[in-house]
Amino acid sequence: MISFEHVGKRYGAGPPAVGDLSFEVSDGEICVLVGPSGCGKTTSLKMINRLVEPTSGTIRIDGRDTATVDVDVLRRGIGYVIQQIGLFPHLTVAENVATVPRLLHWDRRRARARVDELLELVELPAAEFAQRLPGELSGGQQQRVGVARALGADPPILLMDEPFGAVDPISRERLQDELRRLQGVVRKTIVFVTHDIDEAIKLGDRIVLLNVGGVLAQHAAPADLLAHPASPFVESFLGGSRMVRRLGLVQLRGLALTADGGVSPTVAVDIGATLREALDAVLRAPDGRAAVTDAGRMVGVLDTEAIRRAAQ
Amino acid sequence: MSTLRYIADNWDTLGPEVRNQLVIVGICMGVSAAVGLALGVAAARSDRVAAVAIAITSTILTIPSFALFGLFTIWLGLGSAPVIAGLILYALLPIVRNTRTGIRAVRPAVIEAARGMGMSPLQVLLRVEIPLAVPVILAGLRQATVMVVAIATVGATVGADDLGRPILAAVGRSTGSYERLLSGVLPVAAIGILADLILAGAERALSRGRITTAAL
Repeated sequence: MISFEHVGKRYGAGPPAVGDLSFEVSDGEICVLVGPSGCGKTTSLKMINRLVEPTSGTIRIDGRDTATVDVDVLRRGIGYVIQQIGLFPHLTVAENVATVPRLLHWDRRRARARVDELLELVELPAAEFAQRLPGELSGGQQQRVGVARALGADPPILLMDEPFGAVDPISRERLQDELRRLQGVVRKTIVFVTHDIDEAIKLGDRIVLLNVGGVLAQHAAPADLLAHPASPFVESFLGGSRMVRRLGLVQLRGLALTADGGVSPTVAVDIGATLREALDAVLRAPDGRAAVTDAGRMVGVLDTEAIRRAAQ
Repeated sequence: MSTLRYIADNWDTLGPEVRNQLVIVGICMGVSAAVGLALGVAAARSDRVAAVAIAITSTILTIPSFALFGLFTIWLGLGSAPVIAGLILYALLPIVRNTRTGIRAVRPAVIEAARGMGMSPLQVLLRVEIPLAVPVILAGLRQATVMVVAIATVGATVGADDLGRPILAAVGRSTGSYERLLSGVLPVAAIGILADLILAGAERALSRGRITTAAL
C-alpha cells in the first residue's frame, strides 16, 4: 500500500506545486492521478520514487517512510515508465529489459529467463525482438519494451507517467487494453498519471482527481466519480454525457434482475456485459426487453426502466 | 623512389625515431584522454567549469609549440619529457569539448529513466552517458591525435629523438636535404593517417544507436 500523508511540494517562494495531499493506493489496484496542467500529478508521482523530494509530509510504502530508504534501493523496487520512454538506444531490447536485474546482480541465466518471460508478456517474442535496438522498433513497440523494462525485477509497484501520451490514438487504445490484460496477470500496484479523463476512467480502479496546486478534488472509483462528482470543478473536468459514459463501467453481474414475467424476449445479452451493451440490446429489441443470460441460460430480463434504475 | 631507398638505407637511425615518435604520442594521448575525459565530464555538469576549461585549453593552443616545449625544459630538462608535457596540454581541448558535447546530447528522458530505475549518478555516467557519447568522444580523440602526431616533430628542437630530427637536420641544408626531409615527413604522415583511419573506424563501428558527430 502507498500512502500520501499531508504531502506537499513547494519550489521557492511561489505557490505550492502540491498542497497538502493525502490519499492511499491499495495493493493490486490501478490508481490514476488525473487533472489539468499545473495540478501536480506528475510531481506527486515522482515523489513516490523520490525523483522529486517532498518539502512536507510523508509518503509510506507498506508503512515504511520512503525518506528513510536509500534512494537507489527504493527505486530498484519500483518500476518506472515515462512518456518519452527513455530506452537506452545503444543497448538491445534484451539488455534494456535486464537493466534492473543487472543492477541487482542477478546471475546471467536468471536475468535471461526473466527477459524472455517479460518480452512474451508484452507480446514481443524474444526470438524476434531480443537482439534489436530500440531505434528499430515502432513507438508502440518501444513503449511495450519500456513496460517490460519497468517490470524487470518484478517490483510490486509500477509508476507510469503519461506512458501512452506520445503514441497515435489507435496504438494508445491497444496499449491501454494491453495494460488491463497485463494487470490481470501481474497484479501490481500501479500509479498512473494522465491528463486524459477518458483514459483515467478506462484504466483506473480508483481515480485521484487533482485541481491546480495539487489540491485533491475527489478520490473515487470511476463509476462513483461519474455518478457523484463532488464539486462543479469535478463535474466540468469530467465533461458531458456522464451517465451515458458510466453505463460502460457498470456490469450486469450483481444487479437485481427482474424475472421474465412470462414473455420470452427475442434479444439476449450475457451477464458479463455492461449496462451500455445491455441498453444497446434493449434498444434493438422490438418489445424493448432483453434477456440476460448466464452461460446460455436465461437468468432475468431488462428493460429501459431497469437500466435507468441500475444506472443511478 | 629515392626517398624510399633513403629510408631503407637509414633505417638504423629512423627506426628508433619512429618508435620514439609513437611512444611520445602514445603517452601523451593516454594521459590526455584520461584528464580530458574527466575534465569533459565536469564541463558537462557545470557551465562554469566548461567556460573555464575551454578558455584555458583554447588559450594553450595559441602558444607556439616551440615556446611551450621550451618552457617545460625549465622543469623537465631536454628530451622527450617536455615534449610529452606540452602535447598533453595541446590535446586537451578537442577531448574536453567533445566529451562535454557528447554527454550533453544524451536525451534527458534516457537519464531520467536510468535514475528512476535506481542507477546511481556514477552508474548513469559509466553505463549510459559515456557509452552513448563514445563516438563523439572518439572524434575528439582523433582530432587530438592527428594534431599531436604532427606537432611532436617540433619536439626535436628540445632534444626529443623523434621524427622531427631528420626534418630539422634537413632544413636549411643545400645538398641531400630533399630525401632526408621526406624521410621524416612520410612516416609522420603515415602515422597520422593510420591513427585517423583506426579511430574513424572505431567511431563508425560504435555509432549504432549512439550519438554521432553527424547528428549533432
